[in-house]
Amino acid sequence: MKVFVVAGILVTFGALATFAQERTLNVGLDADPPNLDPALSSAFVDRQVQNQIYDKLVDINPKLKIIPMLATAWKVSDLGTTYTFTLRPNIKFHDGTPFDANVVKFNLERYMTLDTSRRKGELASIKEIKVLSPTSIQLNLKFPFAPLLAVLSDRSGMMVSPAAVAKFGKDFTNNPVGTGPFKFVERRRQDRIILENTNTYWDTANRPNFDKLVYRPFPDGDVRAANLLSGAIQVMTPIDPKDLKAIAENTRTELASIAGLGFQGIPLNTTKPPFNNKALRQAFAATLDREAIDRVVFQGSVTPAVTPFPPGSPAYTKFFQVNPPNLELAKKKLAEGNQPNGFSFTMLIATGTVNAQLAQLYQAFAKTANIDMKIEQIEFGTLLARADKKDFDALALGWSGRPDPDGNIFDFFVTGGVSNYSGYSNPRVDKLLQLARQTRDIVIRRDIYEDALENIVSDASYPITYFQKVNIGKLKTVDNLPLNPDGIMRFKSVKLN
Amino acid sequence: MLTFALRRLLYAIPTLLIVTIMVFSLVRILPGNPALLMLGEEASPELVAALNRDLGLDKPLYEQYFSWITKVFQGNLGESLRNNESITKVVLEKLPTTLELAFLAMLVALVLAIPAGIFTAVKRGGAADSAVTVLALSGISLPNFFLGVLLIYFFSVRLGWIPPSGYVTPAENLGQNLLLMLMPAVTLGTGTAGVLTRFLRGSMLEVLTQDFVRTARAKGVGAAGVIFGHALRNAFLPILTIFGLQLSALLSGAVITEQIFSIPGFGRLLVEAVATRDYPLLQGVVLLSSIAIFIVSFLVDILYASVDPRIRYQ
Repeated sequence: MKVFVVAGILVTFGALATFAQERTLNVGLDADPPNLDPALSSAFVDRQVQNQIYDKLVDINPKLKIIPMLATAWKVSDLGTTYTFTLRPNIKFHDGTPFDANVVKFNLERYMTLDTSRRKGELASIKEIKVLSPTSIQLNLKFPFAPLLAVLSDRSGMMVSPAAVAKFGKDFTNNPVGTGPFKFVERRRQDRIILENTNTYWDTANRPNFDKLVYRPFPDGDVRAANLLSGAIQVMTPIDPKDLKAIAENTRTELASIAGLGFQGIPLNTTKPPFNNKALRQAFAATLDREAIDRVVFQGSVTPAVTPFPPGSPAYTKFFQVNPPNLELAKKKLAEGNQPNGFSFTMLIATGTVNAQLAQLYQAFAKTANIDMKIEQIEFGTLLARADKKDFDALALGWSGRPDPDGNIFDFFVTGGVSNYSGYSNPRVDKLLQLARQTRDIVIRRDIYEDALENIVSDASYPITYFQKVNIGKLKTVDNLPLNPDGIMRFKSVKLN
Repeated sequence: MLTFALRRLLYAIPTLLIVTIMVFSLVRILPGNPALLMLGEEASPELVAALNRDLGLDKPLYEQYFSWITKVFQGNLGESLRNNESITKVVLEKLPTTLELAFLAMLVALVLAIPAGIFTAVKRGGAADSAVTVLALSGISLPNFFLGVLLIYFFSVRLGWIPPSGYVTPAENLGQNLLLMLMPAVTLGTGTAGVLTRFLRGSMLEVLTQDFVRTARAKGVGAAGVIFGHALRNAFLPILTIFGLQLSALLSGAVITEQIFSIPGFGRLLVEAVATRDYPLLQGVVLLSSIAIFIVSFLVDILYASVDPRIRYQ
């Protein structure tokens, strides 16, 4: 018996010793990333993991400037229809196969032609891909498309191993292979995704000093925060507004915040009453007290907004001010819309405490103008299905945001756009949004957007209410984690103390 | 006995077939569309159509059912819509975790309920009886999601004794596994403990007034002998029924408990399958749960005979 006890103790110590040698960084996320294949991925949380496994042609820095990654340089023709990239030489995938121009061609063509690829829309401007040499590739566009580089700094620019795609086929998503600082080891559904430091990353100045990067999903915000505060995980995002203070004030943890790229708002269904009446949309929009939203629901952690361009966006303009609620205007618009005594509508919201608080606040705002707003809280899948069928009056919805302004406006306001839940259609706005995405000079683009926004804000098909911040909680022992407005944590430079 | 068992198993076949049809249709009655959910921000109508085609969701329902049920009979539950993983593999990976949780919760329940049930029956009417009854009732009424968060707050955040959540397999590290399973098992087990205590108390009270107990006492059997040797064994029969029924309650309770403690088991899988409308996964999970509940009630029926020799199967 004694022998067993001693043996047991020795084994335990042995195990502890191995644990001590292996340095692991545990990251808490709000969901289990559904799909790690960039072609098939559509959830924001996927990008957290993908960005460690795959390199992209280009990246963006915290100031949203495009910076080199697998492409070291690029040239854009004067008309903006030809992009020529110089590629980094001597790069190998985690499976040992080389990266070159043919790989870029393979990847872009895969994203553009795979039957169920989610990247088709982003790359629709590409007409032809020409391999000039193993380290040089040219993209010829059908029309000038200013957001292209920004698109290539995200999933459409992620380079996956063609050999691994051929080997695993449909199962590539469960066996991802890239050229990034971490390689994929294992995933246990709803439990963890384990990545391993390759120790051979090309960016030698940015090699992580730990062995394993483990992502764990915690759908419950309380539990996620408790895990960080107890040290069971070292980094977490997102953070529920009520936990921000605890994480900022705890002696072991710290809070990092930066303005994000996304926005939240209220798509109003313009295809049926009551909101097919522009004056009634304007009346409801005039009741919104955006400062109160920030104060009451988010404890000062969001930024009140009226346009879809957050302060960090190159298209941000001071032209549109956040106005306090205007009851006079609301009443005038109600009369104009032939509903001087108010009207009633239902807002669909997804489950969750914050959503409910937000909706109750909207309800209270509407009440001030005698507008009776009912709240229907439904599960997210049902909400999306009803939004798709235009079976709603109003929704509370948002967008994670894209670095190029086009990604924050086009699909939401262009006639028939993929995310145009309101069913909004304004020929002038359509023309301006098309023009803006073909214009490369950002100053001119900003003017075009200003013009479009004047119509969009006034038409009130989708009143924007606030910009979210990117909030990351971490232990103080985690150093050098860059803070990027896109909310993606890039772990290659991180040092664990 | 053997004929009884075989007959029960035969009856199970049509029952389970009906279950498959119900599961299949219920899952599809749910509003929401898997393609729309998977595409999320990128859901253009062409892409939704392409994805529906790729997932075989554009085929008529009866065709989808027959292709599914044929596979099921071959022991293949199909592939997850989300990432093409084999559902049989995913489910077999998660099942042991939930079984362990259910087993530990049941253990917690029994450890609490047996002494509490006996004690309250023997000390009937006293202050101790009332106190335990109140405790048992709070165990039944306290919702899992509240008790779970409460435990995390005290034992993990305030005291820092137990990691708040997570999971390691027993093979990886048994001690850590049990430590992490402690709070979930208590969370899940207390409700069952309350129910079992109440039933055991009632059942004990009834048995203690029976003639054979009086006879035993008259023969000079000691208090412990009467309770454990005579009364408890007889009082256990109704408990066995409850035990069988509670197992299905534990399986559904596991859905919430696993969500709170981030335990990657059957319950989390179910929640994920519903939230993403992963039809084959949802069908697989619900079908297997039905089979599990069938097996447990089958075993309980068989066990009756060994606990109560008066029961004979025809």
